[in-house]
Amino acid sequence: MVKSVIAQHVTKVYRMYQSTSQRLLDLLLPLRTGEEFYALRDVSFEADKGDVIGIVGLNGSGKSTLCNIIAGVIQPTAGEIHVDGQTSLVAIQAGLSTELTGRENIEQKCLMLGFSKKEIRELESEIVEFADIGPFIDQPVKNYSSGMRSRLGFAISVCVDPDVLVVDEALSVGDAVFSAKCMDKMNDFKRRGKTIFFISHSMAQVKSFCEKALWLDRGVVRAYGDVASVVPEYERFVKQNRASAP
Amino acid sequence: MAAVALVFREHLRNLYLIRRLSWFELKAETRKHYLGFFWEIFNPAVQICIYWFVFGVGIRASRTVEHVPYVLWISAGMVVWFFVNQAVLAASRSVFSRIRIVAKMNFPASIIPSYVIISKWYPHLVLTVLLLLWFSLRGYMPSLYLLQLPYFMFCLLLLLVAVSLITSTLSTVVRDVHMAVASLMRVLMYLTPVLWSPKGLGWLELAMKANPLYYVVEGYRAALFGDGWYFLQHARYTLYFWVVVAVLFLIGAVLHGKFRADLVDYA
Repeated sequence: MVKSVIAQHVTKVYRMYQSTSQRLLDLLLPLRTGEEFYALRDVSFEADKGDVIGIVGLNGSGKSTLCNIIAGVIQPTAGEIHVDGQTSLVAIQAGLSTELTGRENIEQKCLMLGFSKKEIRELESEIVEFADIGPFIDQPVKNYSSGMRSRLGFAISVCVDPDVLVVDEALSVGDAVFSAKCMDKMNDFKRRGKTIFFISHSMAQVKSFCEKALWLDRGVVRAYGDVASVVPEYERFVKQNRASAP
Repeated sequence: MAAVALVFREHLRNLYLIRRLSWFELKAETRKHYLGFFWEIFNPAVQICIYWFVFGVGIRASRTVEHVPYVLWISAGMVVWFFVNQAVLAASRSVFSRIRIVAKMNFPASIIPSYVIISKWYPHLVLTVLLLLWFSLRGYMPSLYLLQLPYFMFCLLLLLVAVSLITSTLSTVVRDVHMAVASLMRVLMYLTPVLWSPKGLGWLELAMKANPLYYVVEGYRAALFGDGWYFLQHARYTLYFWVVVAVLFLIGAVLHGKFRADLVDYA
C-alpha cells in the first residue's frame, strides 16, 4: 500500500503565561518561562491511500490541532509530518470573506489555493452547482445562514479535488439532504483512493463512514486501528467518564 | 539572503494573485457602505479643506509656499499622506487579521501586506488624477515633468512594501506594535513636509530629510507643479532613498523569514 500521510513523533507545545509581561519576556529573552501545554504529544501514525480515518476524542484532546497540522495550517513543534499531495481542510469557519459574495469567495479561495485563471473558471460552475444555494451565490456571505456558509465552504473544499481531505466537524450544521450529498461525494473520494480524515462527535457517522479510527486523549494517541475495535472502546471510556462526573 | 530571494520570488510569481486579491480587498472595503468608493474621495477632500482653513487661512494667512498657493501645496502633500497613512495602518494589521484564512503552506505569505497596500493604491490613483484636473483649472497645467510621477509612485510603493514587511510581522508577534505604529503615524505627519515646509531651517531641514517620505512628497510636488527633475537635481538624495529602502527591505525579509512558520500560532 502507498502511504499518503506519515506522522512521526508529532508534538505541538503551546505556552501558557500567567501575565502578558511574562509573555513578552519569553519573546525577548532566550530562556523559556511559560508553563508548557502539550496539545499533541508524540503522535505517530501512518495512513494509506484510500483510508478513511475518523478522529475521535473529548473536547480539548487535540483533534483540531492534529487536523491543522495535517492540512499544513500550523507547524508541529517537534516531529515530522509527510503528506503526499494537496490537502484541503473543511472547517465550519471556512475562511470566507463576509463582505464578498459567494461567487467572489469562490474565486478568492481558489486563487489562494494556487489555481490559475482558466482552472478557476471551470471549477466555479461545479462549485456553484454543488453548494446549491440558489440566488444567494451572488449575495454577500454576511447574509448567509450558518448552513449556507458551511455548504459553500464544503463545496469549495471538495471541488478543488484534493488528495487528502480533512473534515473538521463541518457536517454538523448542514441539513440531512446536504449531509447525504456530502457523504456521496466523500464516498466517491474513497472509491478514487483519496485519504480522508473525519472529525465528528457523532459515533454513528464515524461507524458508518470510516474504516479506521484514531482516538486522541489529552494529546496522546490512545488507540489507532479498525473502527470496529477502537470506537466501542472509546464509547466505553465516554460512559465511564460520564459515570464518574458528579 | 535566502529570505530576500524568497520574498522577491513570491512577489514576481504571483503578480496576478496580488492583483486579484487587492481588487477583492477594495471591493470588500467599499461594499461596507452605501456610497462605497465616494468616501475614499470625500474624506480626503474634507481633511484638505480643514488643514487649508486652519493652517492656510488662519496661521499662514494665505501666503504662498515656494510660489505655489498654500492650498495647492498642501493638497499635493496630503494626497501622498492619505495613501501612506491608510496603507501603513492596513498593512500593519494585514497579517494577523488574515493569517488564519490564508494559512496554507503553499500560500505566499509575504505578499499579504503587499496586496493590502495595492488595494489602497487604487483610490490614491483616482485622487491623484482628480488633483491633476483641479491643478489644471487653477493654472498648473501638466508639463513634461509629470513624467516623473510614476517613478515617485513606484518609489512610494516599494518603500511601503519594505516598511510593511517589518510592521506586519512584528505586530503579529506582539500586537502592541500595531498601536505603536498608529501613534508613530500621527507624529510622522508633522515630520513630513505635508503641512509645512522646513526649507531654510538649517539642521532641522536636514534632519527631516532623513525621513524617506520627504523624498517622495517633494518628488510628487516637483512632478505636479512642474519645477524640475527632482530625482536628478538631488541625485545624492535619490541614492540615499534607495539605500534606505534596500536596508528596510532586508530587515523586513529577514524578520518575515524568521517568523514565517509560526505566524499562525501568534495570530
